[in-house]
Amino acid sequence: MGDIGLLVDGFATALQPLYLLYALLGVTLGTAVGVLPGIGPAMTVALLLPLTYSLEPAAAFIMFAGIYYGGMYGGSTTSILLNTPGEAASIVTALEGNAMARAGRGAAALATAAIGSFVAGTIATVALTFVAPVVADLAVQLGPQDFVALTVLAFLTVAAMFGASPARGIAALAVGLLLAMVGTDSLTGQQRFTFGLPALADGIDVVVVAVGIFAVGEALYVASRMRKGPLPLVPVGGSWMTREDFRRSWKPWLRGAAVGFPIGTIPAGGADVSTFLSYSMERKLSKRKEEFGKGAIEGVAGPESANNAAAAGVLVPLLTLGLPTSATAAIIIVAFQSYGIQPGPLLFEQEAPLVWTLIASLYIGNLLLLVLNLPLVGVWVKLLQIPRPYLYAGILTFAALGSYAVGASTADMILLFLVGVLGWGMRQFGFPVAPAVVGLILGPIAEEQLRRTLAISQGDPSALVTSPFAAVVYILLLVFLAAGVYLKRRQSRVEEELVHDRPETVPAEGNRS
Amino acid sequence: MSTASGSGAAPERVAAPERGGRTRTWSWGEAAIAVGLFAVGVFTLVETTSITVPGSANVLGPRAFPYAVGVLLVGASVALAVSLLRGQHGSAEEGEDVDAGARTDWGTVAKLVASFAALVLLIEPLGWPIAATLLFAGTAWALGARIVRAAVIGAVLNVGIHVLFVQVLGLFLPAGPLEGVPFFG
Repeated sequence: MGDIGLLVDGFATALQPLYLLYALLGVTLGTAVGVLPGIGPAMTVALLLPLTYSLEPAAAFIMFAGIYYGGMYGGSTTSILLNTPGEAASIVTALEGNAMARAGRGAAALATAAIGSFVAGTIATVALTFVAPVVADLAVQLGPQDFVALTVLAFLTVAAMFGASPARGIAALAVGLLLAMVGTDSLTGQQRFTFGLPALADGIDVVVVAVGIFAVGEALYVASRMRKGPLPLVPVGGSWMTREDFRRSWKPWLRGAAVGFPIGTIPAGGADVSTFLSYSMERKLSKRKEEFGKGAIEGVAGPESANNAAAAGVLVPLLTLGLPTSATAAIIIVAFQSYGIQPGPLLFEQEAPLVWTLIASLYIGNLLLLVLNLPLVGVWVKLLQIPRPYLYAGILTFAALGSYAVGASTADMILLFLVGVLGWGMRQFGFPVAPAVVGLILGPIAEEQLRRTLAISQGDPSALVTSPFAAVVYILLLVFLAAGVYLKRRQSRVEEELVHDRPETVPAEGNRS
Repeated sequence: MSTASGSGAAPERVAAPERGGRTRTWSWGEAAIAVGLFAVGVFTLVETTSITVPGSANVLGPRAFPYAVGVLLVGASVALAVSLLRGQHGSAEEGEDVDAGARTDWGTVAKLVASFAALVLLIEPLGWPIAATLLFAGTAWALGARIVRAAVIGAVLNVGIHVLFVQVLGLFLPAGPLEGVPFFG
């Protein structure tokens, strides 16, 4: 029960007035930026990273916890009120919540999303509290060959799960790995792929690459083909949740949490897959299947809860193994690294107070989100109406600021822009960006552990698979890939059914002024 | 029902993931990507041979991982080329502000590139507040805002950022000619 004591200590830290202020600031900024159209959770975290540069680690992580949960939550408001798809994880909410909003039940849709996010987020954070230390205890006993297995697992599942085809995912992953190798080899001190340029000798800063791919890439992509005309904004209307709405929502909230957390912990596409699973489950269980597609409250409550529960689940492999299973998780690793802290098995031993403060602030952030979001919906709606030219000009400004603040070098800004062009091309030609970011961050870890394994075994490659843990991981990898392909098939089937059920709604609205 | 294209974003996305939208015909852009990826892979393999391996190197030296990545790049490019020849195309990413069916607007992109280049060249001589205002105003103007209004908003925003970063957060941003002015640095 030592963990409970540590958690209490974490709360004692996080509840100090100054830290509460940072948590509030993080949640507010995270939601505000996350609400902005075109900005997903990964870009929210990447753009707000520079704000934490000068803070001490505890304050920075408290703010980060808020930004992370706020950014995840912000997306749902966007998708309910804007008639266009936002980040992948909100797509189902977009279909169902948007239908509710157009039927004049926008307030109820936003309320069930907010309360569901809170309920599921809290349950998932409790699960994280109990699962993470157990996993960390096991992880401490792992050797380098086991980490090689884990990185291979993360590479292949991320490459296979994101994007249209495995070839595209692998291509994106390989580009990320290549960018990661630029610089000086840490084990032998030899320069690799630096072309003799001193600016490249220290390697490419991951913050620069992440901000470039997400923010600059997105801004260039949008600029190249901006949607013309006014935004199809749906007014928030109708009464708040009725007793009937509550009766129909509470079970989907709990089921969403039960689906989201486990899916988040395994590398299977993160929040995205969990929302679709929850949606199809709710539809199957509902007594009013005919309402689905036309604004069934269960179809907002379930997926939205699953989305937030998955966000907490993602933190389990992130904190205990140092494995990012989504693009947002990869950016959070960058945040840790900028403080010289490497997430992984030793984190719970070496940085115990910090980790438990972070976990405590997840609880606090979740509660703050609920308190903040119910009354502030009107403000978020205003944010949605920021004219697009200013929005994207602002994104570019903050991206440039972030890259310059890292090292006060214009070379970093040029690099930022070049990586941005790469990110634009990837979006344009349908390559997923998540595997590139995961490759960039995990590549050096994978290489180091691989070389360490073979140094210990004196060149015998069988050492890579003979450890029982590594063998189990490779077997699991096969199972995950099979399950992942199945889940993805199922996801596209659900998407297809959705469209066949109601082909008229979305296109018709697109033309509304 | 108008599920055709353009207006309805969601249905297009649905068509995308697995079938890969066979409706589109041959795309030179995608073919160029596959060839480019192949070239990067070959380049990686060739460049790797020039990495110095010190005598003291462990069993696996600094070249092994780059070779593996090179092979991965070449393999992915071949797989991509095969899928293109079989008619499976990628689909452009969807987004709230994106008209995925539109043609690339090179004029806007050129203005964006120019605005960013201005920031890179001018940040040190003119300082963050002025150079970043040029970036903001240029970008917003390129995307359709009125330039005077964009400049005013950009100036207010970037003076705010400068004061926040330099005075409150204690990070460095160049002040340019404003050096020495109270609150600027």
